[in-house]
Amino acid sequence: MTNSPFSIPLVHNAIDIMTPFLLAGIGGLFTELAGMLNIALEGLILTGAFFSIVFAAATGNLFLGILLGLLCAMALAYMFGAITLYMRANVFITGLATNLFASGFTIVLAYHLFKTKGVIQFPGIPKLPALVVPPLLQRIPVVGDILFGHNVIIYVTWAIVLLSALVIYRTPFGLRLRGTGLNAKTIVSLGLNPRRYQLAGILISGLTCGLAGAMLSVELAAFVPEISSGRGWIALVAIYLGNKTPWGIFVASFVFGMAESISNYAQGSIRVPVEFILALPYVFTVVAMILYSIFRYVRSSRG
Amino acid sequence: MPYLEMKGITKLYPNHLRANDGIDFSLEKNEIHAIVGENGAGKTTLMKILYGLEQLDAGSIMLSGKNVTIHGPLDANRLGIGMVHQHFKLIPEFSVAENVVLGIEPRKNVLFMDRNAAVQRISEVIASHGFNIDPRARVLTLTVGQMQQVEIVKMLYRNVDLLILDEPTSVLTEQEIHKLFETLRSLQKDGKTCIIITHKLQEVMEISDRVTVMRKGKVIAVRRTAEVDKAELARLMVGRSVLFQIERAKNACGSAVLELVNVTLKQRGRDRALLDAVNLTVRSCEIVGVAGVSGNGLGELEDVVAGLRRITSGRILHNGEDIAGLAPATLRERGLAYVPADRLRRGASLQSTVTENMIVTSHHRFLRAGFLKGGKIKQFAERLTKSFSIDGGPRVPVGTLSGGNIQKVILARELATASNLVIVAEPTWGLDVASSQFVYEKILEMRKAGAGILFISSNLDELLGIADAIAVMYRGRVVAFLSNVKGLSKERIGEYMLGLRDDFAPPRTQKKDEPA
Amino acid sequence: MNERRKFGEVLTGLTGLTLTLLLSFCLVIGLIFILSRTPLRTIYFFFVGAFTNRYYLGNMLNVAVPLVFTGLGISIAFKASVFNLGGEGQIYAGGLAATAVCLAMPAANGFLGGLSALAGAAVLSGAIAGVSGFFRMKWKTDEMISSFLLSSAVVLAANYFITGPLGDPKNNLLATLAVGPQYGLARIFPPSKLNISAFFAMAAALMVFFFMYKSRAGYEMRMCGLNREFSRYGGINVSKYLVLPMIMSGALHGLGGGLMVLGTYGATIEGYSFGMGWNGIAVALIAKNNPLGLIPAAFLFAYLDAGAKAAMLNSDVTFEIAAIAQSFIFYFVTAQALYGFARKRRRA
Repeated sequence: MTNSPFSIPLVHNAIDIMTPFLLAGIGGLFTELAGMLNIALEGLILTGAFFSIVFAAATGNLFLGILLGLLCAMALAYMFGAITLYMRANVFITGLATNLFASGFTIVLAYHLFKTKGVIQFPGIPKLPALVVPPLLQRIPVVGDILFGHNVIIYVTWAIVLLSALVIYRTPFGLRLRGTGLNAKTIVSLGLNPRRYQLAGILISGLTCGLAGAMLSVELAAFVPEISSGRGWIALVAIYLGNKTPWGIFVASFVFGMAESISNYAQGSIRVPVEFILALPYVFTVVAMILYSIFRYVRSSRG
Repeated sequence: MPYLEMKGITKLYPNHLRANDGIDFSLEKNEIHAIVGENGAGKTTLMKILYGLEQLDAGSIMLSGKNVTIHGPLDANRLGIGMVHQHFKLIPEFSVAENVVLGIEPRKNVLFMDRNAAVQRISEVIASHGFNIDPRARVLTLTVGQMQQVEIVKMLYRNVDLLILDEPTSVLTEQEIHKLFETLRSLQKDGKTCIIITHKLQEVMEISDRVTVMRKGKVIAVRRTAEVDKAELARLMVGRSVLFQIERAKNACGSAVLELVNVTLKQRGRDRALLDAVNLTVRSCEIVGVAGVSGNGLGELEDVVAGLRRITSGRILHNGEDIAGLAPATLRERGLAYVPADRLRRGASLQSTVTENMIVTSHHRFLRAGFLKGGKIKQFAERLTKSFSIDGGPRVPVGTLSGGNIQKVILARELATASNLVIVAEPTWGLDVASSQFVYEKILEMRKAGAGILFISSNLDELLGIADAIAVMYRGRVVAFLSNVKGLSKERIGEYMLGLRDDFAPPRTQKKDEPA
Repeated sequence: MNERRKFGEVLTGLTGLTLTLLLSFCLVIGLIFILSRTPLRTIYFFFVGAFTNRYYLGNMLNVAVPLVFTGLGISIAFKASVFNLGGEGQIYAGGLAATAVCLAMPAANGFLGGLSALAGAAVLSGAIAGVSGFFRMKWKTDEMISSFLLSSAVVLAANYFITGPLGDPKNNLLATLAVGPQYGLARIFPPSKLNISAFFAMAAALMVFFFMYKSRAGYEMRMCGLNREFSRYGGINVSKYLVLPMIMSGALHGLGGGLMVLGTYGATIEGYSFGMGWNGIAVALIAKNNPLGLIPAAFLFAYLDAGAKAAMLNSDVTFEIAAIAQSFIFYFVTAQALYGFARKRRRA
């Protein structure tokens, strides 16, 4: 964040805050397009958060730590996907199970390794590098502050979103993925196996959620139990509100990011009980959902 | 040496049903071969085995003298075998091109698809068969006939030599069927071989060179088409002589039971009205048939009269009283009986028992202080199960019953509480001859008892056999009301169904033909 | 013949359930071996500890009580094919509502006051869930997501009241003021906290069972759950059964919370009911949404809870092992592969 007279900290922070939603949302999108409901985003984020920082502290190397954290999240995603698809379990329940497992497992492991169930600080780990840009760019009014000065993961996220859009709409894999979600019987009749694409979608969500979690814990240089705190669920809502498209999820995530940014700001200055401010994103989302359904309903029944 | 030889094919399903029982089937190169049989004869199973969608339990397949194993559609395609399914395996939201290349997408480089190459190659295939389809159009914008053409293009794109078509004409109009047959003959000229599964004997006579008759999982006979006639085929299929004509009673006996007055149904986003000023009257002791191609208002007519959809304007009268806008529960209190076309989703709850299905319209009559009287309900269900000869008894889940028995459950329920208005839609679709006869008998009984019956069906033979008058719908309008059924031909009805004739065209209209 | 078929299905179900439990328990044992320095001692306390004295045993049964209520709530919703994902907030708020009613009447008659407190709990939580149901009915808003979001907000709002206006400043715990002693439910198995709410749980299970299978509304609700289009075609008011099951589900959750407060805690302690909502879902699943089966299913989950507590107090693992064990059960209880292959239905 710069001190330029044109900086808008509210928006700048919103972009930071929206990134975990966006990452989890994009990963979840792949699963959704393949026709599977993925409510395990929460647990995958938590897993990524825990293992990234633990491995980063253990190896002293941030990049390696995050990579291993991603792999752990993908391993959990694989367990979720394999049990659901190959043991034919109810995807909603296994999603809940995954969240429950991640929640319990991270605490059990934290207690086993660090003898505490509370916040675990890692003061020694390297900080998340920010993208270095010439200061001239950062001074561009409004846009400069919004676009620049963020940490590296945020830019990686934007690249992921772009890449995802390309993959989904312009590659054979993307076509088959969407086909699986739209009409799995057709996919089968062509000799393709829909479960492969569904599993791929789940693994991709493990990757992006792991990255989201990594960003959360590494930025804090600490692991907080339940650090995912509802972000996975908000990502799911973003997928629906964004009409299951990458761009829509981007916009929805930004809206949630703004909501939380505003509520953070309000916490400091307005004398409203802190719990109500924390509840604001949820209430806001429900209201948005209701308004959206009214909009959709009126539009389809007119005429 | 035959082109294709399937020997001793056996396929067992887990409930001990022998779908295919030691079947021998052989195919000559370059012929059009029909496989006929009733529903459940095993025709589709045999072809699914050939196409790799099912695996055989015993037997062998030889193609051009060589033994082959077909594990899936990809294997089949590689051997030059293609299949056009009865229920289209298309993704409506995708374009024609995307549907055709799905699974074998051409690539621009390692990662991306080459859309233009796909469109180009598909256009060539489309043009060479005289189809009229835009490869970039989304499949949901096409007509049913065009969708089938996409399925054919999908197979030709994969360079198949043998094309299997499963009940291809069940959703087509007469004209579209002619076009399909032209296509098949042109494929034959190109050196391809075709197998066509059907239960429509007229088509067998028209298009095939040879015909195989199947019944209950076995091959009964193989004949040259030129050496048989429809009657003999029917006899081979069913094993006994079949009544093609149905005993019909005399005239209508009274007042109007159902009147549709200028009924219009509009939906946002569609500029053509789904029902356009429909006028129709059904009198007691009368069966009024309604014919039309699906998508022209038959389904909407059904929904609207049964109270499941609100009309935009007009009136619907039952015994002279306006019933438009009444809730389904109220209509049932008035004694409306309704046998829906969508048997499995609307007409029944497959996971519930026969009893639970039977009381859905009448359970409120079996109450004591908010609780259901189990004993009385049991009696009711047992009585109906017996009188309608439903296999399995009142406590089995409806989903385990055969199609014919499910329809009996629905009929039993509806006719038990019917008064004088009965609506049936596609009542014998997918049923075998015995079940169909049963349905006709029950409907005729209702007519004798004084009911007025609205009989919506796409089966013209059935309508010509049973209806006292036939209304034809095209694009949401009634374009004909034919009370002299005796002299009618299917071709004549077909002309109305396709909009080539219109008895009620409004005088000012000279609408240019919109694309279908 | 039908009896034999039904028995066969029950047997398959039980076998699948046994396999589920066996697998989950093996995995937990494995985990204990990895994590604990005294694995055998831990295992003993995890599996047997709950039965070793009246305190553990009674408390285990007491934990099962709210699970029966949340399980019933979820079962009703599932049977109607509406999805109440807001159980956590509904049970939490229910307890708070009961507390508030009692606190408002510090000197009223214990029986009547307690009854109104419970009624308040049911009404509040029923309304919370009912909101989601209403919007589903009116504008097709997804009730699963809306109930979850609302419940998350409700939990936060409830926390405000617990630590704020209703809070007990003298207490070190984050909790409300204690309710009057006349509202406490009688203990039936001292020194444990097991109280008469256990009987309420069994009664509730029976009542829900009769409702679902013998009443008109229950029949209509089940039909709507299985096939809405069919039900509408048959004349059932489908809209009603998008809202009513949610209200009933919320009310049951609220009742569970209220009973927890009146029976066990005597006040609303922050986080007292966390996890009961989610575990209610697992319990309903294990019981296959059958109200009578919920009692053994709730017992199973309470058993895992109690085992983890005993293991934690007497050994060196942490309580969250229970969550891991429960998650395995979640995973396997719906794995069809463990229940044998679904019989192929004859195509109609």
